[in-house]
Amino acid sequence: MHAKHGVEAVRAVAAAAQARRRPRAGVRSVLAAVPSASPIVRWTGIGFLVVAALFPLFGSGFYTRLAIEAMLFGSIALSVDILLGYAGMLSLGQAAYFGFAAYLTAVLYTHVTSSFWLVALIVAASVGLLAFLLGAVAIRASGVYFALITFGVAEILLKIAHNTRALGGSDGIIGIPVPSVGVFGLFSIPLKHNLVFYYFVLAGIVLVYLGVRRILNTPFGRVLHAVRDNADRVPYLGYNPFWYKVCAYVLAAEVAAFGGLIYPLLRGFVSPELFGFEVSTKAVVMSLVGGIGTLVGPLIGGVIITFLEIVLGGITEHHLIVLGVIFVVFVMFLPDGFMGLARRLVAQRRGERS
Amino acid sequence: MADALAYLHFVVVPQVIDGLIIGVTLALVALGLTMIFGLLHVINLAHGELYMLGGYAALALIGWGSGYWGALVLVPLLVGLAGWGLEELGIRPLMPRPDRAIVTLLLTFGVSLMLRDAAQIVWGTQTYSIEAPLTGVVEFGGVFLPTYRLLVLGVGVGAIAVTWWLLYRTRLGAVLRATAADPAMVASLGIPVRWVYAFTFVFGCALAGLAGVLLSPIYAVFPTMGHDFLIMAFAVVIVGGMGSLFGAVLAALLLAQVHSIASLWIPPVWAQTLVFVVMLLVLIVRPAGLFARLGKA
Repeated sequence: MHAKHGVEAVRAVAAAAQARRRPRAGVRSVLAAVPSASPIVRWTGIGFLVVAALFPLFGSGFYTRLAIEAMLFGSIALSVDILLGYAGMLSLGQAAYFGFAAYLTAVLYTHVTSSFWLVALIVAASVGLLAFLLGAVAIRASGVYFALITFGVAEILLKIAHNTRALGGSDGIIGIPVPSVGVFGLFSIPLKHNLVFYYFVLAGIVLVYLGVRRILNTPFGRVLHAVRDNADRVPYLGYNPFWYKVCAYVLAAEVAAFGGLIYPLLRGFVSPELFGFEVSTKAVVMSLVGGIGTLVGPLIGGVIITFLEIVLGGITEHHLIVLGVIFVVFVMFLPDGFMGLARRLVAQRRGERS
Repeated sequence: MADALAYLHFVVVPQVIDGLIIGVTLALVALGLTMIFGLLHVINLAHGELYMLGGYAALALIGWGSGYWGALVLVPLLVGLAGWGLEELGIRPLMPRPDRAIVTLLLTFGVSLMLRDAAQIVWGTQTYSIEAPLTGVVEFGGVFLPTYRLLVLGVGVGAIAVTWWLLYRTRLGAVLRATAADPAMVASLGIPVRWVYAFTFVFGCALAGLAGVLLSPIYAVFPTMGHDFLIMAFAVVIVGGMGSLFGAVLAALLLAQVHSIASLWIPPVWAQTLVFVVMLLVLIVRPAGLFARLGKA
């Protein structure tokens, strides 16, 4: 009898401790990290990948290309998530890197080279440099300034693209040739074919995702998490938060640049709207809808929003108001997105079972 | 030499005065932003759309026969009311959240999208012009100025003066500044901080509405007017220092001059880019802007 009480007491203490570690049910935060390594994220990710792999077998060419677009916008959402979910920095201008990469890609293909890898290398290097310079200024200003500066910078890049005749002004650059991607000089992947292009982009986005997850699971990612949770205490542990944030910013920019590298090949043209704040906004909505801090969530959010827009486009031309409503509803009522919802549902069912 | 003087007199001076007028209205929008940030720690991304709402509200009221002067009085009240709705329904429920800086930013962003599209649904994408109530021209030493612009300048300066008086010469202002410094202490003295926040938010929105109605006869009314203006206002509050009233006014005048004078030699769109370059330079030297936050010494 006595012993049983003892065991129960220990259990109660353990349960209380666990409850304390979990975020309180009432206070949900956009940063209520469903850890990107948790089982629900893994299984959702795998399920999603299976659906994505089978999708073009059922969908028409139109939907295949739409799915490619969803993945490319998903990469911007993923880059928002790296910043917001892991470093606690809200960027309202990730389209800057998407657009910059897209324009650079377009210029390189039309004037310089047709080698995919050379273009990719130049784009990666230039985006890295640009992100480092702008990031250093924006991050030093820190906090709320960061969101505003990123917002402004994207807007200015848009204005520059819009008003530079050499870049086609408001029309942008058209007639971008679609290259074939050589693999170690053994064979080449013809991106002209819809299906080949689709699986190429899918493979690319999966690699980007795995790479990002790997990087964020290293000690670097841990420090970044610590910076997010308490940037004032991190220096006492001997880390300089500034450089960690800059690295995260450059990483995020490169991820958005992946989308920008592929997008001109999908559409055949680039236009100043790629820098636009609608693109940046959509990326934030996507990661909010999917679940911030989960890495998989933003990609799923990308698919949801892109397809939703097409469905809505048939009904109304007012996308913005719908995006706005989604924004408000998620912020107010579902700040941890679908991944958070899924986790709560699973936890609830487990609770019922036991 | 005479040519240079004439150039200065007839080209540069009018441009400077123009910049001054835009700077004053820009300061109204920036003041609202910076006050709301200083007290609530909320960045109101819907602020530009409230400015836009000011323009459309003026359009509607004048259409219903209120006349321009009626609109000038009523619009700030209406926009303030809209701001109150936003505060009550959107911002306040989010205030207890630990990540309120980010969630309120996201929320107001969503609201700004909704408002802009709603304006497009109601009024369409076309540009409306509002007739200025004063049409004459005033001459100052050879420089001609439309009377209406002088009115904008006068009302704008008046509104800034009222804001200053309210904050630094009244009991309410003392409460506001105290809340900016330490809300918990103010609450423990029995002052309903909730209503202080609501008042600040509504006041800031009313200022944006006032700027909207003042500028609409000069710039016309269209759905994205708030978006374009907000970006400038952000540059202003960043340069002035988030939460600093003095900084907002000074930076508004300064950046409007940069924009206005640069527009003489380079296309206006590049002038706007130049404003951002100035902003980035200021940030490199002083990452927190030029002046200290409200409530700090």
